[in-house]
Amino acid sequence: MRRPGFAYLDDERVEELRRRAIAMLDRHGVVVNHPEAVAKLGAAGCKLDTDGRRVRIPPELTEQAVRLAPRAVSLCGKDERHDLRLPRGDGTFWMRTGTGAHGYIEPDTGDYRKLRLEDVRTIAALSGALSEVGFVAHPFVNDVPEVTADIHGLGTLLAHSVKHVWIQPYGTENIAYLLRLAALAAGGEAELRARPIASCIVCSFTPLEFKAMDVEAVIQCSRFGVPIHACSLPTAGGTAPVTMPGTVLMATAEILAMVVLAHVLGPGTPVIATPLIFCLDMRSGRSLQSSVEALAGASMAVQVMKRGCGLPTHTYGAGSDTPDIDGQSQAERALIAFLVGLAGADVLGGVGQLECATVFSPVQAVIDNEIGAMARSYLRTPAVDDESLAWGDLLQLDPGGNFLATEHTLRHCRTGFAPAAFTRQARDAYDAGGRRDLLAQARDMLAEILRTYPPQPVVDAPTRAEMQRVVTAADAKIAG
Amino acid sequence: MVEDLETRLDAIYEAVLAYEAGRTAELVRRETEHGTSCQQILADALIAAMDEVGDQFAEGRLFVPEMLMAAKAMKAGLEMLRPLLGASDAKPVGTIMIGTVHKDLHDIGKNLVGMMMEGGGLKVIDLGVDVPPDRFLAAAREHRPDVIGLSALLTTTMPNMRKTVEMLRGVGYNGRILVGGAPVNAAFAEAIGADGFAPDAPGAVKLARKFIGAAEA
Repeated sequence: MRRPGFAYLDDERVEELRRRAIAMLDRHGVVVNHPEAVAKLGAAGCKLDTDGRRVRIPPELTEQAVRLAPRAVSLCGKDERHDLRLPRGDGTFWMRTGTGAHGYIEPDTGDYRKLRLEDVRTIAALSGALSEVGFVAHPFVNDVPEVTADIHGLGTLLAHSVKHVWIQPYGTENIAYLLRLAALAAGGEAELRARPIASCIVCSFTPLEFKAMDVEAVIQCSRFGVPIHACSLPTAGGTAPVTMPGTVLMATAEILAMVVLAHVLGPGTPVIATPLIFCLDMRSGRSLQSSVEALAGASMAVQVMKRGCGLPTHTYGAGSDTPDIDGQSQAERALIAFLVGLAGADVLGGVGQLECATVFSPVQAVIDNEIGAMARSYLRTPAVDDESLAWGDLLQLDPGGNFLATEHTLRHCRTGFAPAAFTRQARDAYDAGGRRDLLAQARDMLAEILRTYPPQPVVDAPTRAEMQRVVTAADAKIAG
Repeated sequence: MVEDLETRLDAIYEAVLAYEAGRTAELVRRETEHGTSCQQILADALIAAMDEVGDQFAEGRLFVPEMLMAAKAMKAGLEMLRPLLGASDAKPVGTIMIGTVHKDLHDIGKNLVGMMMEGGGLKVIDLGVDVPPDRFLAAAREHRPDVIGLSALLTTTMPNMRKTVEMLRGVGYNGRILVGGAPVNAAFAEAIGADGFAPDAPGAVKLARKFIGAAEA
């Protein structure tokens, strides 16, 4: 189904950005800190500098890689009922929980604290029950060895999530352990290949550089058919031009370079274009994900990747720059969800995240789920036909008549979006009910979800034991 | 018309606030020819201008790139003084050694702090990015800085900040350690045994200068 949307950029501008990105890869090139990959890129026709790191990618190779990249991606859940396909069949999107948060907002008190491993179990259980969340990311866990925090977080997430999970490696050496965990949770390497229950973020090191870890992630993921989210995180005014088209160009060039990397190092590996656009606040120097400029950048980048290159797209579709679950947070994330949804993104990431992706709030995640559901409801353009027009009723309408008791209204009275957290009470009822606002409602909903679906393992005990052995081995080898 | 000293120093001060590096350098050069001491040019013109820059930034009136350009102008003036500094009574306010911690390659913030520290009259030894604890230690032994500034952008590299502090303290480094970067806060600084945290570059300069003053007291 075709999604309604808005052309933030017209076709001419989309093509200009695409063309310039391809030209940048040819004329400026990228730095790839991985000798094996550089050699393969050279063999594929790239021009190599004598430093052995700078790679200039000829336009025909970029065009070929983009042309051959899969147009659709399957992300499987541990439970098959949670398998998902990008682009989504109904023309809308899936959501994804925030990644990398190191802070946590306690649901009952609203207090901030460091995020712990037990919170990953909560996030897994909650995400399993949130209708709009298609897959789940692991945050940064503070109560384990720091250098293997990704391995601990992923292991716990895989063991407790019925939904697809997102791997975020913190070190080159960690990648093999992370994929080993994914294979164990999937039931084996062949099973992981057949049903990828995990996908992996691969990042550029903006501007125009790739660390060994991320290149290695492409190589190792491709062996298992694990899809990659080719992620560029430029910061306008910092690591990218302050003018947003320049930042979008940077993101486009870096993502296309990753499409080429995947094409050369692991042909056929599904790639999800993932521009995460930030702005440097010129007053404070802080990075912002929800400024209006960042929103414009996300809209542009999604349109270049999707309309211009035909790739599945993923960007922030939730999140806020405020540290708390306040009014600003709700305003910013509602804007993001609708604007990025209208721009055409297939995945709206950042559910539950605050303070520019550094903090996770499960209460906010409940609200995000509802905002996402509203945005998806809005994006389903209705048919315009006799039934949706109530043509028959209109022709028979009596003077002073109404529609409340018609058969047509009865047929459709339950098709409107019915919010669970948003309040629609009049003043008297609101006062009588103890003035329970959106936050209070969301807190109750969270408690009910966790009471009904408490965190529990989704893999059997022997497998969990084996996964724990992998984590322990990683601690011994990497954390020392 | 011959301008008096105050007017000439004001002109240097204004040139820094107008982000005019070339003009600042030229005015400083001329001022040295007038025989004005390096100490007075530094204190009454260059550092005074950067204090004003810091205040304007704190009030939200000056933006980061403007602050950076002012720091560059200040540095251009400082370069004119540098050959004379050894022969004069003027000494750097102190020495700070900076770097991003092990495995962190993000240096925009660190560079900004470096520029502002120079603007604040400190000698800056920049160890660059991805600096392992033992390199901080070796450099600290070599340069004996008054302050060491550790920078991290990633949550995943913050632990390396702790390791660096522990290693420096473990061998008895008794200078001050300042930490900063997007994920860092005052509580973290305290928890890892650092002496201080600043949320932005001018704040870091103020803190470093305060530390150095305290150290001298």
